[in-house]
Amino acid sequence: MEGKEENASAEAAPLKLLGSWASSYTHRVQLALRLKGLEFEYAEEDLANKSDELLRLNPVYKKVPVLVHGGRALPESVIILQYLDDAWPERRPLLPADAFDRALARFWCHFADDKLGPAVGAVFTSTGEEQEAAVRQVHENLALVEAELREGAFKGRRFFGGDEVGLLDVVLGCGSYWLAVFEEVTGVRLVDADAFPLFHAWLRDFEALDEVRETIPAVDRLLEYARGVRHMLLGLAGAGGAGGAGADAPSSTAADAPTASPPPAAATATAADIAVDI
Amino acid sequence: MASSGDERAAAVRVIGGWASHYAIRVYVALKLKGVEYEFLQEVVGNKSELLLKSNPVYKKIPVLLHHGKAIPESMIILQYIDEVWASNGPAILPADPYARAIQRFWAQYTDDKIAPASLVLRGVTNGGKDEAAAQVSNALQHLEEAFVKCSQGKPYFSGENIGFLDLVLGSHLGWLKAAAKIAGVRVLDEAKFPELTAWADRFYTHHAVKDVMPETDRLVEFNAYLIEVLKAKASN
Repeated sequence: MEGKEENASAEAAPLKLLGSWASSYTHRVQLALRLKGLEFEYAEEDLANKSDELLRLNPVYKKVPVLVHGGRALPESVIILQYLDDAWPERRPLLPADAFDRALARFWCHFADDKLGPAVGAVFTSTGEEQEAAVRQVHENLALVEAELREGAFKGRRFFGGDEVGLLDVVLGCGSYWLAVFEEVTGVRLVDADAFPLFHAWLRDFEALDEVRETIPAVDRLLEYARGVRHMLLGLAGAGGAGGAGADAPSSTAADAPTASPPPAAATATAADIAVDI
Repeated sequence: MASSGDERAAAVRVIGGWASHYAIRVYVALKLKGVEYEFLQEVVGNKSELLLKSNPVYKKIPVLLHHGKAIPESMIILQYIDEVWASNGPAILPADPYARAIQRFWAQYTDDKIAPASLVLRGVTNGGKDEAAAQVSNALQHLEEAFVKCSQGKPYFSGENIGFLDLVLGSHLGWLKAAAKIAGVRVLDEAKFPELTAWADRFYTHHAVKDVMPETDRLVEFNAYLIEVLKAKASN
């Protein structure tokens, strides 16, 4: 059939992903491609020095990830994920079949990027009272997700997608690893296993999956990176080495920092680009 | 998301408002699909129990209630309508995966860039009016180019019929006209955006749109009222 032949040749076209190793948005796409068993070429972008290719392929936002399929470029991770489902419907669908379940998955993906992610990011980029407020926000948002796992839309499920991971698992999961990293780097408590037992259990199961372990960078790499960014953002002296304990000094000692820090704009650009959020 | 559970209620209900461009998208989509629905008007500044129960996370309109199941977020609602009533009339999202992705991209871009700028021009949120106007203009420039690529010479972004991106961008037209009047700026400049201007005329006069797209003066009046309500809330 003509349609099938067209599809087959379109599907067979090469896949290339432009991304950044510390970007949770990039990880979403890498994970989805692995879950679907799709081969792809990966190109690491230096976000402080973006390639001509990236700027050409994503002129509107100039961000990673960008998926290139058969020469056509697509930015925005959740849009890419849905594209993968649309283009390869027979390969491990990320979205469920039922229209209402799909709407639920999309809604909570929206929530993850609209509310939860920015709140987590705010914890990382602030100190003192501002940080306390951000932590409260994160807890409120996690409580909503916990409630859905406990008695709402995702009650009784191992993963948000059911027995297998789906779109929402990929979106929430690729980013949730920052929670433990930020806890370590900032000294605040974000995901208490007692306060959020189901979310905690889900995250543990998610991170144990082969495809996820293949995708998410080693935690010490993430820690080193996060410490570096936090140090730049707050202009604190003595970037955390291996011995660095979690707690950052309260804002009153920031004034003591003798070390020159890179210009704030660069630091902000880096944090935003890697999308340090859930 | 909550369930209404009222057996006597219509199968399809929309919690929304005549002035909400997000809700207008849903009204047009349902009309295009020939789906009857019960119109529920939210009162500004006094959210209904039904809304709070149906969209506890955001407490915002529109919310589609389908046999009691609540679906919030206009773009999610549009996709739901497209999937549930797939056999009714033309598809809202195109069949081709890449075309779907492009429409989703520009739809997200539209709400990202135009929605907040419109609120500034209307005086609902604080900000520089010139910057807001420039942001809208810049967005429209991108969308003018996107229209040429997507429409391929046909009347709408989706081709022959109104589709996803038409609905998302088209729903902003009413408020953009009102915002232009309120702020005293030119927004949809025919000289700068000839394709979009022609498309906007087609959208406005489409049978599924003309009864639900509010008159500019009505919106200007509503905007003044909205600002008063917000001021009163802020001082309480």
